[in-house]
Amino acid sequence: MKNNLSYILAFGLLSFVFASQSCQKMDIKIETTGDVNIVGYLEKYPDSFSLFKQILDRTETSAFLNAYGAYTCFAPTNTGVKTWLTKKGAGSVDAADLETLKDLVRFHLLLDTITTSSFKDGKLPVPTMFSQYLVTGVSNKGGQSSYLINRQALVTQSNIKVGNGIIHQIDNVLEPSTISLVKQLEAKPEYSIFVQAIKETGFYDRLNTVDPDTSKRWLTLIAESNQALADSGITSYAALKAKYSKTSSPANANDSLHMYIAYHILDGVKFLGDIITSPAHQTLQPQEVVSTQLLNSEVIVNEDEFNGVVEKGVTLIRNTSDNAATNGVWHDAGAHFSVKYRKPTAVYWDVSSFPEIMKLAANYKKASFTWTRQSEANQPIKDHYWGWGTLASTNIFTYSYSTTSSVTRYAVNFDCNQLPLGLPSRPIWWEMMTPPIIKGKYKIWICYSRSKQSSSSNQLCQVTVNGELMPRTINFTDLRPKGSDAELEAIGWKQYTEWREYRTDSNYAGKLVGTYEFMTTQKQQIRIIPITGTQNNNFIDMIHIIPVDENQVLPRFSTDGSKKYF
Amino acid sequence: MKNKILYTCLLMVALGASSCSKWLELKPQDGIVREEFWKTKEQVDAAVTGIYASMLGTGTSTPLAELLFIWGEARTDMVTPGFRASSSENDIVNMNILPTNAFANWRTLYATINYCNTVIQLAPGVLAKDNTFTQAQLDRAMGEAYAIRGMLYFYLVRTFKDVPLKLDATISDEDIRPMAKSSADSILNQVVLDLKTAEPLLPLTYGNQAKDKGRATRYTVNAILADVYLWREKYAECAAECDKVINSGSFGLVGTFTSMFDELFFRGNSAEAIFELQYDAQKINTFHPMLLSSTRRWGAAPHLIEEVYGIDVINAVPIVDKRGDGCSLRANDLTIWKYMGANDAGSALRAAEQSYAHWIFYRYADILLMKAEAINQMDQPLEASRLVKSIRTRANALDFGMVMDSTDKQGMEEYILQERQREFAFEGKRWYDVVRNAKRNNFANFRYLTDMVGISIPRERQQVAFNKLKDENSLYFPIFLYELQSNKLLVQNPFYK
Repeated sequence: MKNNLSYILAFGLLSFVFASQSCQKMDIKIETTGDVNIVGYLEKYPDSFSLFKQILDRTETSAFLNAYGAYTCFAPTNTGVKTWLTKKGAGSVDAADLETLKDLVRFHLLLDTITTSSFKDGKLPVPTMFSQYLVTGVSNKGGQSSYLINRQALVTQSNIKVGNGIIHQIDNVLEPSTISLVKQLEAKPEYSIFVQAIKETGFYDRLNTVDPDTSKRWLTLIAESNQALADSGITSYAALKAKYSKTSSPANANDSLHMYIAYHILDGVKFLGDIITSPAHQTLQPQEVVSTQLLNSEVIVNEDEFNGVVEKGVTLIRNTSDNAATNGVWHDAGAHFSVKYRKPTAVYWDVSSFPEIMKLAANYKKASFTWTRQSEANQPIKDHYWGWGTLASTNIFTYSYSTTSSVTRYAVNFDCNQLPLGLPSRPIWWEMMTPPIIKGKYKIWICYSRSKQSSSSNQLCQVTVNGELMPRTINFTDLRPKGSDAELEAIGWKQYTEWREYRTDSNYAGKLVGTYEFMTTQKQQIRIIPITGTQNNNFIDMIHIIPVDENQVLPRFSTDGSKKYF
Repeated sequence: MKNKILYTCLLMVALGASSCSKWLELKPQDGIVREEFWKTKEQVDAAVTGIYASMLGTGTSTPLAELLFIWGEARTDMVTPGFRASSSENDIVNMNILPTNAFANWRTLYATINYCNTVIQLAPGVLAKDNTFTQAQLDRAMGEAYAIRGMLYFYLVRTFKDVPLKLDATISDEDIRPMAKSSADSILNQVVLDLKTAEPLLPLTYGNQAKDKGRATRYTVNAILADVYLWREKYAECAAECDKVINSGSFGLVGTFTSMFDELFFRGNSAEAIFELQYDAQKINTFHPMLLSSTRRWGAAPHLIEEVYGIDVINAVPIVDKRGDGCSLRANDLTIWKYMGANDAGSALRAAEQSYAHWIFYRYADILLMKAEAINQMDQPLEASRLVKSIRTRANALDFGMVMDSTDKQGMEEYILQERQREFAFEGKRWYDVVRNAKRNNFANFRYLTDMVGISIPRERQQVAFNKLKDENSLYFPIFLYELQSNKLLVQNPFYK
């Protein structure tokens, strides 16, 4: 028994030794991460950020910047803050005005995580918490490139990832603009003529107010300096007024001087980087747009081609543009420009000459070629697009070329565009962007080559222009009716090809879909929507957009694209 | 009772001893340790083959060919990112490379460099152990390792500028230690030394066409040396190295009368090739999913046919550059044809399991154009123009745009750069070509870079990109974040602060 006891004792001791060894206190982490937050990071480097940290403390923002969130913080270093304090005449952070400090902090914070990958020529994708946008760029000094924020501070260390966002260290304090667009211009004597015109035409208040409703607040102003005006022979406000104002009251909306200024104001805040991403921008002058493009890295306004004639545009001067104000941004135009009144002109649009096919030397005017859209996101052709058909194999757009086939043998340049259409499985609409069309009232003719996939095929479609439904439908399986030109025009049809016997040419039909008044001069959108039937054989050759008061039947077109007036 | 204790102890000993037999064995069960390797000539041969195999891709990191494609093409006007391009790839296109960018990782190259170092360090010891291993065989092995190490360091310098220069093998964990960067110049000195060492050690031929193209020969070394000298602006030396290859008579331009695409790119190992990475059915490259239109990460840039190869609208029978549609790219869907095509009619694609187009490091056309570039800098534009002409005649090139003026050195420099763009499209050379020409004479022709970027970069990012490029350091990749964290002696490229 005693032995037994000692055996148990020995066993117990042994197990105790094992147990106690395994019982070492475990190091349990209670945080999910050891990363510091924004304020934590600033505290870690007091040599760089003690003053900015003081500002955060004084404005009581430290607490929320140390809590969960997704922020981007532009943190100015101590030298930067000191420079700013000296400029403001404050000896220390405590001596500075509290409201100014609060605005300052808001201007350095974004409610999103923005890395330097999002920095481009222009504003950041989200505004600051002060609700003004920051402008980014890159400056190069002495061979060293750095990101430049708001043309005020350089990024000295970027993309510091912390628990609740991203910090970019900057060498100067960013200052929000405190004056409006027109006040900024007023302060510059070199814009005196333009500013006076703004005052006389009654736009001063509009350009001076900061609307509390941010959807209405932002404007973009394209200003003309006295120099730009002088280059066009206008050396004083009187000369400008004499040139444009014909009603003696520039404030009148029908006065050309009023229109001139209205034409220089765009809706919304558009930095140069935004301006070039869209081909046209609506101005405050009703129904007038400025067209914009990037040519050899210069931003050009109103350089357009009308009927083969290129009209020279006006350059926006980069280094003096992109000036942010409390209610928008203003740019500096390199020359004088104004609203242009153009007479409506017919556009005989050969839809099958688009840049993507013209690049294929082996196909353009030589052989058919088919584009297959691999996925709904894929857009192989810029100006011809269609609603994705559920049957993937019907999402094919064909440049159809043949000198012999009955579908294209009399088509202009022997080519057409072909797209399958129709519910339930083929593409559900076909959309195209026209060349620029001058505003005015036009008749729109769809010129197609009739074809039936099978004898029972039917393809009735309606047409919308800029989203507006046209009164007449087209059917890709309809032959052109018989009759003289006058008889046909009376019922809204025409022979758009060079004159031939009806029995050889009846496939080629121009059908009037309606009359439309284009409100702005720009590229317009035409969409064809199938409503009954479905087939693959839908061929469009041309679209004629002809002013209502012009001859709708002539010219006709021969297979080499030349115009025939008989 | 005593027995009970005794039995318990016995049992424990028995259990413990029997299960422990493997524990006392220190050698790994699934591999060979160094002490058992490096004994026979076959093992040396296997180690050298391993260098090439590692360049084909090991499966653990981005394969070399893919990396070189992205390093050499992504920042240029040759390619556009497809819809499957990763954010890392889009960032490279936009000149927004961050230290976290997946393609800033150099481990693929250093892994192969370590294989080279291992051969250089351990192969000589085999001479004493294996009597059948001759000095000539050792020389060859050493030469191949030196040549490839030199070439990879040359790629690293052109891509990262300053990098750590590791010349001894990392054989055990004890060899892992932090290393600081060496200057680009000192690395290039080492590269030249490596190549000069390799040159006499390597044979002119292995007696077999496929081996001559896939293994480093003396001509491979001459080609790399010419490229290094050209980068370092030592033109006489560059021309001399080119002449060694040209005078050998072993190489020529293929496809003058036959299909250039078929011989040079589809079949591979052509008489024009000097050094290729030989993928085959057992080891395919990663280009197929990368370039196929339904999973595309990279496509050809849309302006190439129109503005680079040119469209003939004058002649009744149009002149068509052989290197354009159906060779470098398929124009109608912008597929990069060099790696994807199966015929030069532009109709048949390689199947996924056929994706073994070789990666061509150097070919004879490169030698001719490098020589042209070098002698043009030595004020012989007329002789340079003759070399360019031979390339253009082979390709049936169309004269359009810039005119080749054989009396104008500056004009020739630009013309040769354009000809290289046409000739070596998608072969991972464009970025290095443009940088080399732009940096010459202290960035006298900086516009080569901005002209190129003006085409490739999205419009709203152009100004930012132009100003970034003005900083010379922006031409080089950042050091990958993981390397910075694990090697505390590394200092980031100052541009990526």
